[in-house]
Amino acid sequence: MRTRLQFALLIFVGVLFAVLQADAATPASAPGPSADSQHLTLELVSPAEAIYPGESFHAGLYFRLESGWHVYWTNAGDSGEPPSAQWTLPAGVTASPIQFPTPRRLPLGPLMDFGYEHEVLFPVPMQVAENFRPAGSTAVIAAKVSWLVCREVCLPGKAEVALTRKVLAAPPSSAEEDASAKVLFTRFAGTMPQPLPATDKATFSSTSKEFTLAVQTGSRESSAEFFPFDQTIIANAAPQPAKPLSSGIALTLTKDDNIQSSPKELHGLVVFPNGKTYEIHAVPGRIPDAPAAAGLTEGGPGTLIKIAGFAFLGGIILNLMPCVFPVLFIKGLALVNSSQHERRQMRLHGWVYTLGIVASFWAVVALLLILRGAGQQLGWGFQFQSPTFIAVMALLLFFLGLSLAGQFEIGLSLTSAGGSLANKGGYAGSFFTGVLAMVVATPCTAPFMGAAIGYALSHSALVSFVVFTALALGLAAPYLLLAYNPRWTKLLPRPGAWMEILKQAVSVPIFGTIIWLVWLFTQLAGTNALLGLLAGFLLLAITGWVLGRWPAKPFSTICAALLVILSVAAPVYAVRNLSSAAMDHVSDSTAKSSWQPFSPALVEQYRMQGRPMLVDFTASWCLSCQVNERVVLDRPDVQQRLKDSGIVLIRADWTRHDESIAQALAALGRSGIPTYVLYDGSVNAQPRLLPEVLTPGIVFSALDSLPKVRQQSAQLVRPSVR
Amino acid sequence: MRRLSVLTVAVIFSTFTLIAYAVRVGSTAPNFTGTDIHGKTHKLSDYRGKYVVLEWTNNGCPYTQKHYESGNMQALQREWTAKDVVWLTILSSAPGKQGYMTGPAESAYLSREHADPTTALLDPAGGIGRQYEAKTTPHMFVIDPSGKLIYEGAIDDHPTTDPADIRISKNYVSEALTEAMSGQPVAIPYTRPYGCSVKYPDID
Repeated sequence: MRTRLQFALLIFVGVLFAVLQADAATPASAPGPSADSQHLTLELVSPAEAIYPGESFHAGLYFRLESGWHVYWTNAGDSGEPPSAQWTLPAGVTASPIQFPTPRRLPLGPLMDFGYEHEVLFPVPMQVAENFRPAGSTAVIAAKVSWLVCREVCLPGKAEVALTRKVLAAPPSSAEEDASAKVLFTRFAGTMPQPLPATDKATFSSTSKEFTLAVQTGSRESSAEFFPFDQTIIANAAPQPAKPLSSGIALTLTKDDNIQSSPKELHGLVVFPNGKTYEIHAVPGRIPDAPAAAGLTEGGPGTLIKIAGFAFLGGIILNLMPCVFPVLFIKGLALVNSSQHERRQMRLHGWVYTLGIVASFWAVVALLLILRGAGQQLGWGFQFQSPTFIAVMALLLFFLGLSLAGQFEIGLSLTSAGGSLANKGGYAGSFFTGVLAMVVATPCTAPFMGAAIGYALSHSALVSFVVFTALALGLAAPYLLLAYNPRWTKLLPRPGAWMEILKQAVSVPIFGTIIWLVWLFTQLAGTNALLGLLAGFLLLAITGWVLGRWPAKPFSTICAALLVILSVAAPVYAVRNLSSAAMDHVSDSTAKSSWQPFSPALVEQYRMQGRPMLVDFTASWCLSCQVNERVVLDRPDVQQRLKDSGIVLIRADWTRHDESIAQALAALGRSGIPTYVLYDGSVNAQPRLLPEVLTPGIVFSALDSLPKVRQQSAQLVRPSVR
Repeated sequence: MRRLSVLTVAVIFSTFTLIAYAVRVGSTAPNFTGTDIHGKTHKLSDYRGKYVVLEWTNNGCPYTQKHYESGNMQALQREWTAKDVVWLTILSSAPGKQGYMTGPAESAYLSREHADPTTALLDPAGGIGRQYEAKTTPHMFVIDPSGKLIYEGAIDDHPTTDPADIRISKNYVSEALTEAMSGQPVAIPYTRPYGCSVKYPDID
């Protein structure tokens, strides 16, 4: 009995000893200030070198993340969790809650998270009591930090980090600071939200589906994002359409489907494009300048007139752009035809043509507004991102070209195709020539036009209509002028046999345009789908032959109609079924050159690193962009200068629709390309827009205006991403 | 141009359709048809007259693992299916993404974990998930016998991956079912779900 008891006691003591030893083993591997974990490195930092009574100082949790991985804001959004810390502090030292810098929207399929990529510093304010008495010469500030790090998959992580600091009985005469921590805090100082200044106001109103949040900062703001602190107030992933106010901005926020009652306040962050962030507590109230009427008040009517003027001028210049040239030819042809008519009738034709242009611009702006309303972030020229649309355009022009070249007379029997309408005599012909001019003009965002459209799209419907109308009138003006001015008409050659020759000659630029469209189509849909388009051309050629050989016969009309349907069906089918990832070409060519493909994360990363960079928003369907690239940016001496300056070159290829590029453009107040943006390398500086028409001189002087690039400091702050 | 306007109409129409089918606590839960791990088709409307629990899952997600490795989810499934509740576990992970399972693999996983849902539905295209706007794994929905959604949100009030928290957590699903079955209104009908994002197919 006794031996058994002794034995049990022995085991008990043994176990106890083992437990104690195990316990003692833990502090033996005392945590250091930094910890490597999966996909991130965590470091506990503090500029304060010493702890003394009454001191207020900051500690910070500094996360460096592998590319693509993120940690979360205090409201993580649709999924995820913010990091948290449990502190072990010397007696008399207390930690405030973690502070969260301005987050970013992190879209994930249909979901939206809020968080941080690359690197983030969470400051933690620390307070030392007045009656703090140092025990020993140093003290340890330790934290058990846990977090969730996600890319597509999520991994929970935890680590213990600790800092050792000197302790003093009284404030030192001169405060020592940890230099590298100080640098870090300075660098991230701009990332913390600020309270809304007392002079500013935030109010909101609500409908059954939406909140309208107005933030008045005293100056007109063109875009902003709202991040809610409360987790179940708004639909996180919904776009937040912005309407500039004369002294601020109004954001439309989609309510959470399940919101139970009307909240008393909207508490969140409002982030402006320049990085300025305010924490707001919006109260219910009137939204200043009802957004529908905002157009007339914002920036005063003077700005609107100026923008409308630019739009008008842009419209005139559009007439000279290469992609409108064929239409200019058609218009010239139409004018030649109408010079037989009475002067009054010619004026009417001019007006009908103008009406055609205006009507189609209105149709497009209405469509854009509807799409924008439906949350589609589409830019001007989006039509040319759809291979089906391009195929239909190419077929239409091809058909028109065949007719002009003399294969058949259009308008005798076929009235359905827009191209034939354009070539028809009478007012309908003039109207549809106007429509065609507008459709073809789309991809040429001429200088002025981009700015005007950007202005229009970021404003109310009214402003959009004013700007687009001005644009349309500008496009129509030269022709209208010609129609109105009898003296100019006299300059036109007299009608005669040359008209037929001219008509046939016009088919040449039309076929030229078709080459461009085919090339574009191949870029978008690939060489296999090209078969479908080429088959469509063949079918149209047969159609033309049928119409020319047996004109104005019911049989030939039916045949032609069937063939036309087939010719459209062929490329549509091909796009659906044979389309290949032609995008690979595009990125291939990007990879070979010194240009890096665009991603918002990349731009943000370089921005944070303080690297100057040039972002080129381009697309293969944008001729002005191609010209700028061939003639200026890719010129050897320009390339050399760019290389020497150490600037980062990023190319955003919008040949295919890309939501992130559309958003980036919108953030810059632009909706069209070409757009060239220069970041001068300081974290908080505003990006600078370069003109749409580049010259080597413009590029050189822009590079000269950069602050001297210091590769060394760029190295120092670059996150060590492996 | 005509093609484009057809497209526009389609886009607008589908937007309105989505709005019309928004999932809202207190309204009728939208009907859906899903295929289970044995290839059998299930309709939500088949279960009118019974309580239905929808559980979004992804076995690679640490939040899901918290509830399966602790046995918590299995216990809930057993407890409530014994009370004639239909428990549908739904997998909306796209092929190639975390948590995507074929029928046989999921079947084997469920028996290995001793899980006991009524069945598990495979939703690799994410159709049911998007219809219900399922955000996380787990994300829980409770539907009453009249087809009304009575709870949506988190499984419990401890949004962590630590199984030790389950003991001290308030389970919202059990609360909702208990209250509804005893004829009371559900006190907490809506919470923010927590967990990993649902791994929907990429949209492009």
